Amino acid sequence: MNYSGNILTKKRLNLEVREPLGLLAKTIILLVSVLFGLSISIFILILSGVNASDLWNEFIIYIFTSQKNLSAVLVQAVPLIIVGLSAAVAFRAKFWNIGIEGQMIFGAIAATFIATNDVGPESMRLTLMFLAAAAGGIGWIILPAIIKIRLDVNEIISTLLMNYIAFNFLLHLLYGSWRDPLTGFPNSQQYDTFENLPLIGWQSLNFSIVIALFLSAVIFWLFVFSRFGYMLRVLHSNANMAQSLGIRVGILIFLATIISGALAGICGFAVSAGIESRMTQSFFVGYGFSGILIAFLARENPIGILIVSLLFSILVIGGQSLQVFYQIPFAMVQLIQAIIVMCVAGSEFFIRYRISILKR
Amino acid sequence: MDFLVFWLSNVPSFAAPFALGVLGMIICERSGVLNLGAEGFVLVGAMSGAGVLISLGDYPLSAIIIAGASASVLGLLFGFLVVLLRVNQVIAGLIMVFLAQGLTSLISRNMGWVNKPFSGLGRLDFGFLTDIPFLGPVIFGQDIIVYITILLYIFSFYFIYRTNIGLQLRAVGENPDAVDAAGGNVILLRFMAILIGAFFLGVAGGYLTVVVAKIWVDGISGGRGWIIIALVIFARWQLWRSIVGAVLFGCIEALIPRLAAVGVQLPQYFILMLPYLVTLFVMIWSNLKGNNKQDTPLALGRPYLREERH
Repeated sequence: MNYSGNILTKKRLNLEVREPLGLLAKTIILLVSVLFGLSISIFILILSGVNASDLWNEFIIYIFTSQKNLSAVLVQAVPLIIVGLSAAVAFRAKFWNIGIEGQMIFGAIAATFIATNDVGPESMRLTLMFLAAAAGGIGWIILPAIIKIRLDVNEIISTLLMNYIAFNFLLHLLYGSWRDPLTGFPNSQQYDTFENLPLIGWQSLNFSIVIALFLSAVIFWLFVFSRFGYMLRVLHSNANMAQSLGIRVGILIFLATIISGALAGICGFAVSAGIESRMTQSFFVGYGFSGILIAFLARENPIGILIVSLLFSILVIGGQSLQVFYQIPFAMVQLIQAIIVMCVAGSEFFIRYRISILKR
Repeated sequence: MDFLVFWLSNVPSFAAPFALGVLGMIICERSGVLNLGAEGFVLVGAMSGAGVLISLGDYPLSAIIIAGASASVLGLLFGFLVVLLRVNQVIAGLIMVFLAQGLTSLISRNMGWVNKPFSGLGRLDFGFLTDIPFLGPVIFGQDIIVYITILLYIFSFYFIYRTNIGLQLRAVGENPDAVDAAGGNVILLRFMAILIGAFFLGVAGGYLTVVVAKIWVDGISGGRGWIIIALVIFARWQLWRSIVGAVLFGCIEALIPRLAAVGVQLPQYFILMLPYLVTLFVMIWSNLKGNNKQDTPLALGRPYLREERH
């Protein structure tokens, strides 16, 4: 590729597709790009008035020396893992699910409906809430899925528009008939004790971590060992070939989106019944974007998703204390996530292409 | 009758940001670069416009130009990612949105621009022309950007369909190999298209704060960037159809405050859903009607590299 545009120049940059790099070289490029992104982020934080030594304290010392904070990281990682899985399943089917937040909202609405209307016996309540949340999430992705498969309507835009519709519907409920009758605040009434995910005996860690690990295992099995996962891999690498091989592409995409929607709905339940103990008007904020970025960074690999979610969670918990002590807006966390993903996405260029200087 | 006059006279100022944004998107996507970062560029423009008015003083027109310019700065980054580094254009576009959301929130908080009302840009008054019943306020009672937008459309129509560089722009979105072989500079063309497109998206954002809201809060664009992307698909990347779409959405958005004013009893949040529902409906409807594929720029979303030529 001739950037100078001038044939008479002595030297020019040449760009060619490389032979696939080894794992070691790939890892080094990945690490360098993450470090590069982190240093940009640290630079921005210092510009915003944070001491460099405090950063080390907030993000490393503060988190790894106290059991309380370590458990807070694990609790925060749960919804991130689930949205990461949700995004990954959809991406495997080449369906860009940007509507995770809307599906979380409807998952939480369905779960809260079960909780506030006391549907079913108390011992079954959490199970019912879990199933309702999955159904709510599915309900909110089904339209974008159908119009994508049938009419080829761009799912990025349709799922995103559904977010805004879901958000306004949530506000309609919370400022209307679902407002907390005790406090008058615009959130749902508090769940009963048996409607919250139980603690599992270490600090604030609750049962949702078990759900998240279980779901990761299921998705891992689905991707690696099942027929479904195999067909998804074929579809992912070449849609035309999948069609010619007799794979029913439409149904495959539909199933993947349904699973993705169900996971997002379950995440809404996990946040409401695992962290907030009620449905608030902002419980979902940022999870959709984080999910997409996590799935992208982890290359849709469930084990990678666990690792990246933990790292993002450290970022979130550290960011919360920066918010308290430095009034750094929480958007900073989102910004750091975006910067790191941008650097990693950019680094793929160096994995795929070789740049050389040609002399004429 | 009063209802109609109020409504119609408000349509242009609601339609203008859509028209400007779609214009930018069409220029960008005609060059074959899929731009899903529209919401991000709109946000950056909106914040910069408000920031200029709050921190530098009451210069509404400069504020709108700076809004466009600062969106172009983000466009530089986008161009670097998708044109030079050949990053997946979907991911790069989404990153632009996340980045802009974080960045605008951080900068506006640090600079103290949040929730500070300013006087912004008012409407023009052509004296007796504006006083003509019915037509006066609708045609002669708009702000200057509305008229500039119309001129921009006429100019862009000429530029895209009647000039050599416009032809190259369209060609590079259909068949970059051919442009390259004919001696055109694919990289440069795409980069320029991204910068110009980002500029107009930024102007659209600046219009939202400087003319419409006259205040900045986080996420003020409220998904208009995404509606703009949907409108581009509705318009099938053609300028004249995009005017129809922009005016349609201007009508709907202008109707929302009017409905409340005349006392129509509808739950508030259902009215606020309306633009998104209509967008969804329009997307379904335009895909039901016919095959969009033939109007989509052929190379849309595909990075170009000489070495990868077949």
